[in-house]
Amino acid sequence: MLPQLAAKAQASGVETALRWHANETVSMTMRQGVLLANQRARSSGISARVFRNGAFGFAALPDDSADALDRALRRAAENAELAPRAGAQPLAPAAPGRGLFDYRRTDARKFTAAERVELFRTLDAAIAAKYPDLVTRDLNLTLFCSEKALATSGGAETFSAVPRVIFHVSLALEAKDGIVDLYDAMGGFGEIEDHLADVDSLLARIDALYDDLRRKAEGAFCEAGPQDVVLDSNVAGILAHEAVGHTCEADLVLAGSIAGDRLGQRVASEKITLGDFGGRGPDGRSSFAIHVDDEGTPCADTLLIEKGVLKTFMHNRDTAQRLGAAPAGNARAFAFSDEPLIRMRNTCILPGDDPLDDMIGAIEHGYYFRRATNGQADLTGEFMFGVNCGREIRNGKLGRALRDTTISGVAFDMLKSVTHVGPTLSWSPSGWCGKKQPITVGMGGPAIKCRVHVGGRS
Amino acid sequence: MSAPQDLAAEAVARAKKAGADEAQAAAARTSYFEIDYSSRRASLARSVDSLRIDLTVFRAGKRGSASLTGARGADLDEAVAAALAAAEAGVPDPANGVAEGFDSLATDYGPERPDRAAMSAAMTEFGAALAEQHPKIVTDGALYAFTDAETGFANSRGLRHVTRRGVHSFGLMFAARDAGRTTSFNHTGWQRFEPCADLLASGSLRRLLDEAALSLDTKPAPQKFVGDLILTPDAADTLIGPLAGALSGHALFAGTSPFKDKRGALVAPPCFSLLNRPRGATFAGGADFDSYGAPTQDLDVIRGGVLNEFLVDFFMARKLERPQTAGAQNFVVPGGDKALSDIVAGVKRGVLLARFSGGIPNSALDFAGVAKNSFYIEDGEIRGALSETMVSGNLQELLRQIYAVSRETVDFGSCRYPYIATSGALISPAP
Repeated sequence: MLPQLAAKAQASGVETALRWHANETVSMTMRQGVLLANQRARSSGISARVFRNGAFGFAALPDDSADALDRALRRAAENAELAPRAGAQPLAPAAPGRGLFDYRRTDARKFTAAERVELFRTLDAAIAAKYPDLVTRDLNLTLFCSEKALATSGGAETFSAVPRVIFHVSLALEAKDGIVDLYDAMGGFGEIEDHLADVDSLLARIDALYDDLRRKAEGAFCEAGPQDVVLDSNVAGILAHEAVGHTCEADLVLAGSIAGDRLGQRVASEKITLGDFGGRGPDGRSSFAIHVDDEGTPCADTLLIEKGVLKTFMHNRDTAQRLGAAPAGNARAFAFSDEPLIRMRNTCILPGDDPLDDMIGAIEHGYYFRRATNGQADLTGEFMFGVNCGREIRNGKLGRALRDTTISGVAFDMLKSVTHVGPTLSWSPSGWCGKKQPITVGMGGPAIKCRVHVGGRS
Repeated sequence: MSAPQDLAAEAVARAKKAGADEAQAAAARTSYFEIDYSSRRASLARSVDSLRIDLTVFRAGKRGSASLTGARGADLDEAVAAALAAAEAGVPDPANGVAEGFDSLATDYGPERPDRAAMSAAMTEFGAALAEQHPKIVTDGALYAFTDAETGFANSRGLRHVTRRGVHSFGLMFAARDAGRTTSFNHTGWQRFEPCADLLASGSLRRLLDEAALSLDTKPAPQKFVGDLILTPDAADTLIGPLAGALSGHALFAGTSPFKDKRGALVAPPCFSLLNRPRGATFAGGADFDSYGAPTQDLDVIRGGVLNEFLVDFFMARKLERPQTAGAQNFVVPGGDKALSDIVAGVKRGVLLARFSGGIPNSALDFAGVAKNSFYIEDGEIRGALSETMVSGNLQELLRQIYAVSRETVDFGSCRYPYIATSGALISPAP
C-alpha cells in the first residue's frame, strides 16, 4: 500500500498527505460471570488531505483501491475550495519522516478467542469464590492496534503498527452508607501475551485491589479546600497531561490558552522538567509509541518546561508557521476518517531524587492520592481530575483510606508549589485523550508533593 | 452498490450459512460533510463516506460480535468467522437471542444532501458576525456538519427495518479573552434536520457568549458554604447522565443502583419529571429502533417525582425477566411555570452552574468537581462570575432537593432541558 500512496502523493502537485489506516479492537466485558460483550471491530479506509490557498480539504473513504485514492484526492481538493479562509499562510517546512515501526508480535504463540474467555472465567470464578461479600465484579479487556501507512507530497513514507492492552477490574462492596467501588487498570504497550499470561500475578493485583476497596469502604471523605498532597507516580501522569500538556497545545494557545503569554517565564518549581516525547518516552517504557506523525513529520522530543521555565508549545505544521516554531511531530489522527489534530504523545514529568517517605513525612495534614480517574484541562490553566483511591496524611504518617474525590488547581500555581519530585517514573497503562477525536497517549511521571484544591463533604 | 438493508440481510445469511443458530446485523451507510472554521488557524472542509456493518451471532446460547467498514465479501466472511469464533468461545446465557414479533419499520427524516456552498457561506458569515458582535470571544474552531445516514437492520427471524436521517449539527468551543485575561472555555452544540442560516442566533449560544464576556472578571465565593445550584440547560447532563446510568438495567443487574428498591417511590419533588423520548419529533438525534431491532418507545422514567420505570434494554430485559423499556436515550425534562429570573430571585446563596468539570460520580452518586463558567448568587441576585470553585455532594440528594424547573428550555436535538434548581451542595472556593 505504501508505494501506491507515495506515487499518488508525489504526483498530486499540491501539498498532500495520503493515509491508509486500520484500527482493530477486540473487547470483552464480563459482569458477575455473564459475558456482556465479546467482539472484534475493524475500521479501515483511506484518506487524503490537501492544503491549498491557506485551507485544508480532507476526504475519507472505507476502501483502499487505486480508484478510491483518486476519488479521495479529488474530493479533498474540492473540499479545500469550500473551506473558509482567514489569511492564507503556507505550512511550516518539515523533514520527511520515514521508516517502518511494527510493534506487533511476530511469534506464532497467540491467545485464541477461547483462551481469552477462559482467562476471564478463571479470574471471575477466583474472585467470586474468594470474595463472596462483593456486590458486583466486572472484568473488561480492550486489545487495540492502530496500523497506518502514510505518504506525503513532501517525501514522507512510513508505516506503523502499535498495539496496546487495557485490562480493567472493577469491584463493589456494600458499605454502611451505600455502595463503594474501585477499579484498577492493568496492561499497557504490546499485546495480551505480554501482559495477561501470568494468572497468579493478576490474582495478586486483584487481591491488592480488594484490600484497597475494603479500606475505602471504611474510609473517610476528604475535607474540602486547599490541601498539601502527595500525588503518587500513578497520578502524576494525568497531572502532566491535563494540567500542562493541554495548556501547551498550540491550537489552544491560539484560542487563548494562558500559556500563550508565558513563554520564557518561570511557571513551576525548579524541580519540574516536563516534556512530550516521541518513541516510547525518555525511558522507552511508555504504553504508546510514535515515530512519525500524520503530517509526515519525524517525532522529536520536546521539553515544554525545563527546570521550571516554560520553553515551547506542541505544534502541527500550520501552528508552527503561525507561531514561528518548528513542528516536532504532534499531528495525529485517530481513525481513517479523522484529520490530524495537535495531540500529545508521551507526556511526563521527569524524575527527581526525593523519596516518597520524605514527601509523606513532610505533610502535617493532607492527603496521599494513589489512583486517578478522568480529567479535564482549561485554557485558564485550571485542571481537574478524579481520584478514587488514597489515604489521609496526619503528622507525617498515613491514616485512614479515602472515598472518591476530585482535585483541581491552576497549573502554573500548582507547579510552583511542588517541593518534592520522586525518583521513579511510571506510565499509565491506559492513557486516552478526548479532543474532537479520542486518541491513545502515554502519561507518566514520578510522585510529587504539591498543593491542590480538594473536593469533599465538609 | 447494495442498499444497507440488503447488506444487513446478506451478513445474516452468511452467518447462518457458516453455522450460526441465529444472527442479526445492522449496516449503516453514512455521508458526512463538515466545515471546521477558525480565524486563528487554517480552516478545514472534510467529507467522509463510510459503510459500517455490525454483526452479532448466536450459537448454543452463546454470543459473539464483529464489525467492519466496507462491504467486500472477503472482509464480511472474515467478520462472520471472528464473530462465530467469539461465540464458540463464549459463555452460554438464556438471555442471549434475537428479537422477534415486531413490525418492520421504514422511516425517513430530513434532507438527503447538504447545500455545501450554503454551509460554507453560513460559517463565513458566522465568523464575521462573531468578530463584530462578540469581539472578546475566541474560538478553537466552529464546526457545522451534515450527516446523511441510512441504516438497515435484519435478523434471522425475519425482522427488517430501514431508516434514513439527514441531520445538520453545530458545535462551538469558545472562551473570552481581553487584556491578557482568559476565561474558562465553554462549549455548546445542537442537532436539527433543517439547515441553519443564522448560526449565532441558534440554541443557547448568544446567552453563553454574553456570559463568557462577563466572566473575564471573576471572584471567588466569599466562603465555603452549603447552598443552591441552578443547573443551566447546557449543564443539566451533570445530573441527568449519571442518573440515567443509575436507573439502567445494567446497574440493576450489578446490584449497584441506589434506586434498585425505589420503583413507585418519590425520588424527586413533584415539579421534576424525566421522560425518555427517542421518537421526539424535533429530535434529529433520536432513534426508531435499537441495536437488537426492537422499536424504541417513549417512557416516563420519573413522572411528578415518582420513579415510574427503569431504563431496561433488550438484553437486560431478558436477563432480569422484566419488560424492555428502553433502547435509546433522548431525555426531556419538561419545563415548569417559573421564569429563570424568578428562580434566581428566590436564592439566598448559591451558584448558577453552567459547566461542571469533575470526576465521574461513583455508584453511590457522590460527585465533586469544579464549577466552570458559573456565577455566584446571593440574596436573589447574580453577583458575578466565579473563579475556581469546587462543588461537591451527592446527586441522589440533589435530585431529592430540586425545588424548581424553569419555564425556559433548550432543545439540543437529542435532549431538551430547562434550568433545574436544587439545594444541598457544598461549595468551596479556592484560596
